[in-house]
Amino acid sequence: MNTAAAPRTTGTPRLHRPADLGEAVRFLADNPGAVPVAGGTDLLIDRRLGRITTDCMVDISHLDISGIERDGDHLRIGATTTIRTIETSTELAVSAPALLEAARVLGSIQIRNMATLGGNLCHATPSAEMPPPLLVFDAEATIVSSSGWRTIELAQLFTGPGETSLQPGELLTGVTAHVGDGIGSCYIRQTVRWAMDLAGVGVAASVRIEPETNGIVSSVRVALAAVNPVPTVVEGLDSIVVGKTLDADVLDEAAALARRSASPISDARGTAQYRRHVVGVLTARALRVCTARAANTWPPNRAVPPNGFDPELLVDSGVTR
Amino acid sequence: MRLEVTINGDPYRPNIDPAATVLQVLRDDLGLTGTKWGCLTGDCGACTVIVDGRTIVACLQLAAQVDGANITTVEGLAGRGNTMSDLQDAFVRHGAAQCGFCTPGMIVAAEQLVRDGIEPDEQAIREGLSGNLCRCTGYNKIVDAVVEVASRR
Repeated sequence: MNTAAAPRTTGTPRLHRPADLGEAVRFLADNPGAVPVAGGTDLLIDRRLGRITTDCMVDISHLDISGIERDGDHLRIGATTTIRTIETSTELAVSAPALLEAARVLGSIQIRNMATLGGNLCHATPSAEMPPPLLVFDAEATIVSSSGWRTIELAQLFTGPGETSLQPGELLTGVTAHVGDGIGSCYIRQTVRWAMDLAGVGVAASVRIEPETNGIVSSVRVALAAVNPVPTVVEGLDSIVVGKTLDADVLDEAAALARRSASPISDARGTAQYRRHVVGVLTARALRVCTARAANTWPPNRAVPPNGFDPELLVDSGVTR
Repeated sequence: MRLEVTINGDPYRPNIDPAATVLQVLRDDLGLTGTKWGCLTGDCGACTVIVDGRTIVACLQLAAQVDGANITTVEGLAGRGNTMSDLQDAFVRHGAAQCGFCTPGMIVAAEQLVRDGIEPDEQAIREGLSGNLCRCTGYNKIVDAVVEVASRR
């Protein structure tokens, strides 16, 4: 984006603070170009750099669209739930550790105290941490506008770098993930620095092991960050993995499919060739962690290293070619 | 617009620009310049303050959104009568400052880690302070100071 040519903000900035969600969506309908602000950690930078030129912001941080709630196999997370709340959730530690692990590596504690799930999704950065772990739980996004509510598959929210399918006047209010017993999940990534960095490659996975079967996989998902213009679900994994145990050959095939699903660019965080290779390595690691978690053989209090490399528990095998 | 906040125990009611950040209000409207103006992108942590028991970067926080909040800045950590806090004292004794620009944010971030009961574990503290950059790269003494206070308090 050519930020130098973008006009700087002009006029007196306005911050509207609606009393409730209804007032917020009416205001968004009546004021095209108004931008919702919750944590502000992306928006304030975009505004200062002239990437967003609106002078009208709508504060949604105090609206009743935050919190984590489990209802059977439905896990609802409100759009203004902070990343720190996700990181420290005892519910997510049990039902969806992939979400917690993605939250844990996003920015700093200060940023995580401010930044919200909805902001991370709607900013639609290709390397954003939160989409992949939601995609591996088949998440749906709930959207409201002055003309009503609609629900879409979360994958349909992302249409390009920094672009979503949200229409003018629409507001993301939350997501619903589909969790359940017997599912192991994790999120791991490759970074240049170990903290305060964006992912060069991010990989989330979930695996369900059929009970009493000695490790037969009944469902599998892998989702990738930072290697395509939008967060990507690896399609076609079922035929490779479902009904089998995750042995070295199956992992190899899954890793190869994940590599073919990636069309990374070369930039400061790695070359395209390196990133595609790392997609395969991280996919195999993630699937092995998920399998161990699903089978309850991963020690519950043992953190998964951010890049998934745990030399005591897992040794990379067969995925480096 | 009129903002009502408590800062370091004292009430303030500044008239603010609705798009102003907490950092602008603290420094430009209230003269509390201990909170540093660093990267303005949330990367360096020099503007770290505590809002209702949570650390934030003041450069990316709209002041209007903290209406009614209780804010602690580095000026609020010392006791009345300019006695230093145990953490400030530990920073001095360990020589945990070089140029000093990151020090206020570092101390505020560390203060909240200790209040939240962080284990006196080097790796945990390094992770907890990863949002505070020291470009003199004198991290070891900073970590030593925080480990000491975390194990004592």
